Amino acid sequence: MSLLVAAFGFGLVSMSVIALAAVGFTMQFGITNMINLAYGEVMITSAYLAYYVNQAGVSIWIAMLGGAAFGAVFSFLINRFVYAPFQRKGTALLGMVIVSLAVSLMISNAMLPIVGYFSAAYRERFSRLLHFGSLALTVNQIAIIVLAIGVMLAVHALLRYTRLGKAMRATAANPTLARNCGIPTQRVIDVVWLITGALCGLAGVVAALDSDSFTIANGAGFLITALAAAVLGGAGQPYGAMIGAVVIGLITELSAAVWAPDYKQVVAFGILVAVMLLRPQGLLAKRGALAAAG
Amino acid sequence: MSADHTVANGRPAPLLRADGVTSGYGGEPVVRDVSISVGRGEIVAIIGPNGAGKSTLLKTLVGILRARNGRVFIGSEDVTNHAPEDLARRGVGYVPQVNDIFEPLTVQENLEMGGYLLAADRIRERVDEVIRVFPALAPMLKRRADKLSGGERKMLAIARVLMLDPAVLILDEPTANLSPKLADSLLRDHIRRLANLDKAVLLVEQRARAALEVAAWTLVLVSGATRLEGRPGELLGRQDFEELFLGAGTGPTRPAPTLPSPATGGGKPEEEENA
Repeated sequence: MSLLVAAFGFGLVSMSVIALAAVGFTMQFGITNMINLAYGEVMITSAYLAYYVNQAGVSIWIAMLGGAAFGAVFSFLINRFVYAPFQRKGTALLGMVIVSLAVSLMISNAMLPIVGYFSAAYRERFSRLLHFGSLALTVNQIAIIVLAIGVMLAVHALLRYTRLGKAMRATAANPTLARNCGIPTQRVIDVVWLITGALCGLAGVVAALDSDSFTIANGAGFLITALAAAVLGGAGQPYGAMIGAVVIGLITELSAAVWAPDYKQVVAFGILVAVMLLRPQGLLAKRGALAAAG
Repeated sequence: MSADHTVANGRPAPLLRADGVTSGYGGEPVVRDVSISVGRGEIVAIIGPNGAGKSTLLKTLVGILRARNGRVFIGSEDVTNHAPEDLARRGVGYVPQVNDIFEPLTVQENLEMGGYLLAADRIRERVDEVIRVFPALAPMLKRRADKLSGGERKMLAIARVLMLDPAVLILDEPTANLSPKLADSLLRDHIRRLANLDKAVLLVEQRARAALEVAAWTLVLVSGATRLEGRPGELLGRQDFEELFLGAGTGPTRPAPTLPSPATGGGKPEEEENA
């Protein structure tokens, strides 16, 4: 029983990390119609930026803000100078996926000579362990969970209660009609890339912190996990991505406890395949943050 | 409508005017050298068979499609190929035939997005004002727009566009997919009322007879070009118009006619055309 409780604790941390990554990824797709396969590379690049800031003596919790800011600007620039020109030319979705794959490869290969093959680690990767009955979490892990909950609430508030958030949902639902209403859709999309890029950068630093150490090769793994949660929840649906993160995060860790740690990814992605077979549109394809509450 | 706002033929001075517009989707133009105008308090109807270029013409007027030739004016200002959001700012409201609302948003949120250009406190006031025009929407403000019936949906689409209190309203087949009773009510009650509020209303309508009943001026588009135009009474008296749309022996009690397709020479039932 105590093993299951401990695994549940790890699951809470995993789902927090995955949710941070998946919500930004799915919002990019839902609002800008872009399956951005470079997302994982922007995550790991942001993690490295925070690493260098951290190595200069700045707390990782402050450096994390730098990582988020870098992710925001980097994502915005990638869209503005690479994706948007292709989209304006009418490149099909599959073509855009290939373009984003090319961007992903360019980033990882450009980063390699800078950061090298060796693993890096933040200075504050170890923190005090706190016990809550059988549940044991480090201060860092608790901070990650609190951060993820705060970010999810902020995303919810943005989409549901602000004019910008409603304009994002309107642009996602019907961009031509949004323009006819006077909504500056291009500006809205620019802001979406900034916000989702910040989420991407933040998720990269948090994932790297949770992993103890990281290398440039981790970008691909970050992408796959975010993609899986986003698809499981219903592509383009932020609430769906949150649920997808909960399912994948918890199942991964609980299966490791009851079966074997080596197979935890097999179980999580096996469930993803099963859900896709039974409900190809994902868990929340019809309802989510981009949809209405009523 | 004051006398100094009218021109020689008795029509009001144009608020929206297109001169010799040619446009399309790449390749051959769909609309060729079409001129049309609509003034304050006037309803102008565009009728024509499927594929005549009616919707293409409207999309060009509201900036969704680029005009290859010709000019579009609002008042005396040349707005040819201005972006849709700019035309919205200048008082042009557009209700497309399909995809006319934000389906995943609530009715209230749809109205708020319709008034996006207004200040936040003005949006709240304007929602109340628009709801007074369409009181049926009042109890469903929190409902998701994709849960509305066809008539409610069209009311919402028009209410949304009224949020900015546009001077020009461009409606693409507002009665499509509505029951005959609802379609009549929409045209005779709501759209007439909008013209009475001094708005310039440009309307594409498949129901030729219904369009003639509400319009002050009608333009007949066939294969992308203007075939006929004039006051409904004048058109009804012309043999070529009768042959083109209404068939022989038309009378006021006949059911609404179906427009023939130039490709087939015959028309499908109008509900099928609107599907």
